[in-house]
Amino acid sequence: MTVPLSAALFDRRFVLVTGKGGVGKSTVSALLAAQSGARGRRTLVCELNAQERIPAIFGRAPVGSVVTPLRENVWGVNIQPGPALEEYAEMKLKVRAVARLVFDNPFVQRFMQLVPGMNDLLMLGKAFNHERELDTQGRPLWDTVIVDAPATGHGVTFFRLPKVIRDHVPVGNMHEEARDMWALLTDPARTATHLVSLPEELPVQETRELARTLFGPEMGLPPGALWLNQVPTPLFDAAGEARVREGAPPDATPALQAAFDVSQIRLGREGQARAYQAALEGLGLPLVALPLLYSRELGPAQLDALLAAARAQGVP
Amino acid sequence: MSAASDPLFEGARLVITSGAGGVGKTTTAAALALESARSGRRTAVLTIDPARRLANALGLEAFHDHAQRVEGAGPLWAMMLDMRTTADAMVRRFSPDEAAARRILDNPYYGAFSTSLAGTQEYMAVEQVHALVRSGDYDLVVLDTPPAVHAIDFLTAPDRILGALDNRAVNWLYKPRDAGEHGQPQGYGARLLGRGRQVVLKSLDRFTGGPFFEDLASFLQAFSALFEAFRQSSRAVQALLRADSTRFLVVTAPYPGTVREAIGFRAELVTRGFPFAGFVCNRVHDARPAASLEALASALGPNAPAHLAEALATALADHNRMAARDADGLAVLRQVDARPVRVVPLMPEDVHDLEGLSRVGRALMQNFSSADTF
Repeated sequence: MTVPLSAALFDRRFVLVTGKGGVGKSTVSALLAAQSGARGRRTLVCELNAQERIPAIFGRAPVGSVVTPLRENVWGVNIQPGPALEEYAEMKLKVRAVARLVFDNPFVQRFMQLVPGMNDLLMLGKAFNHERELDTQGRPLWDTVIVDAPATGHGVTFFRLPKVIRDHVPVGNMHEEARDMWALLTDPARTATHLVSLPEELPVQETRELARTLFGPEMGLPPGALWLNQVPTPLFDAAGEARVREGAPPDATPALQAAFDVSQIRLGREGQARAYQAALEGLGLPLVALPLLYSRELGPAQLDALLAAARAQGVP
Repeated sequence: MSAASDPLFEGARLVITSGAGGVGKTTTAAALALESARSGRRTAVLTIDPARRLANALGLEAFHDHAQRVEGAGPLWAMMLDMRTTADAMVRRFSPDEAAARRILDNPYYGAFSTSLAGTQEYMAVEQVHALVRSGDYDLVVLDTPPAVHAIDFLTAPDRILGALDNRAVNWLYKPRDAGEHGQPQGYGARLLGRGRQVVLKSLDRFTGGPFFEDLASFLQAFSALFEAFRQSSRAVQALLRADSTRFLVVTAPYPGTVREAIGFRAELVTRGFPFAGFVCNRVHDARPAASLEALASALGPNAPAHLAEALATALADHNRMAARDADGLAVLRQVDARPVRVVPLMPEDVHDLEGLSRVGRALMQNFSSADTF
């Protein structure tokens, strides 16, 4: 059964987007950023040490680790573990020279590389700091911070990390940071974690496992919506579909034969998509289907087409 | 062309599929293993992913950390890397005695982090593969690697682990705080580092909350008893990864961003001397004859359902637009590497059984013969 989409979901400040690799997390992160910006909210969308995809969707060049405007009310950044560590160390150790002495030490660097998920924690911490950032008047600088999180598998470790650190490191800066981060991740007033999937067997299987893990009793993250990406829009009516399934007539021209062949592939994928969408509706999450656009590019025009499709399904 | 004469398999002991997530790496690994087994080679496929994806396609309920025979597919075995079991086995194998092994296995950090220390998963995968290849039980081992942003994450994992287990590094960090400057690593550079040591350690304590790093260091010190054995094994693993009998395939899809990532993967492999053996490109739309709506309507005749010609024309135009995009992606791949790209066409349904896997396998083997050089 379908769960209705609540408009209040889109008022959360800290928005995480996750799913299996290659399902379109960056697309959905960009869409959420465009959606938030269009409602007049000052929005920052963060990629984590990624081969940047989001700026290109807004028709922009890669932004690197500098917060850069992408469109009205939307800024982007690609958080890097190196600069994030330096910044954090300076913040905590106060003196830049001491921070350098510590973190440029080759032995310390070797251990830092080995500490479980240190890079991930630093990058999440940086995104977390953006959420707390204040402007000169002492108001929050960002209304919405969106994080394009790592892919499934790795992603679960990523979300669990603050909890692991909080429970294993009893005192100190790292403990306090991890504790605060976990409090934010699990706060339904401020945070939502969106899942992205494709209407295909393996992504759907992983989405079900991911939803159970992230939103189940162990982790208890507040769920966002489930975004089903690349859903083919039905092209044939019942009579047309029946005829396509019969196959091309024996005397068909090569072009007609080709049209029947590709239509059969398309019907196969449409049917498969419907079955997987139905399977995901059982998860109890509000579902937004994004149409497969059959477009050569993914740029601002396609982003706006996807946003329009999302709005037609109740996204504010 | 059959797998028997495909140059990918000729003289090969190990085939590794690498690439970004979501491009069909696991399916490719399974399909290649299936083709290899069907040509009579005793073949094992090893996956790292705890998801049951590969198991399902091979008709298994789930994977286990021991090899399971796949039915109806020639001499084919499948297995999954179980992190904890592999880690424990490795500690036991490398420990000089049971007491040394116990010191590590009982350490609380080992319990918490043995499966999540950065790079351990990758390290254990290559260790496990090394053991499989060395066992002589298989003619060919196919390894499905974890998805990564950089191919290098996987290949440099052994070096990262060894770097941190280096005795000098562990002693530097672990030496009791009140022991003064004696027992420092020797040499000019090391003395220079030694001078800042107290400041560094005190600052780290503030940063991490004190006991964290000390505990980690004591854990690593216990681990460093294994260092020499580790290092020898790592050398053997590195040699295996670079051997003539090892083949790296970079798996991709024809989308522009994905193609860029695949080219980056190849560059990383080639630069570091790993034997790259070509690209696999999944989900390719093949170009079909184009036709106008009028031509299709007239070919369809007057008795067709209403609007069928329009829908057919749209389907054909959409398909050919995607085919043009995919052709661009393939052309870019071919520019980068002269070897034929192994192209797998888009199928009406995802692979979910042996039959589907065979279709992918046949596509992977097409257009290849032993005349092609590697």
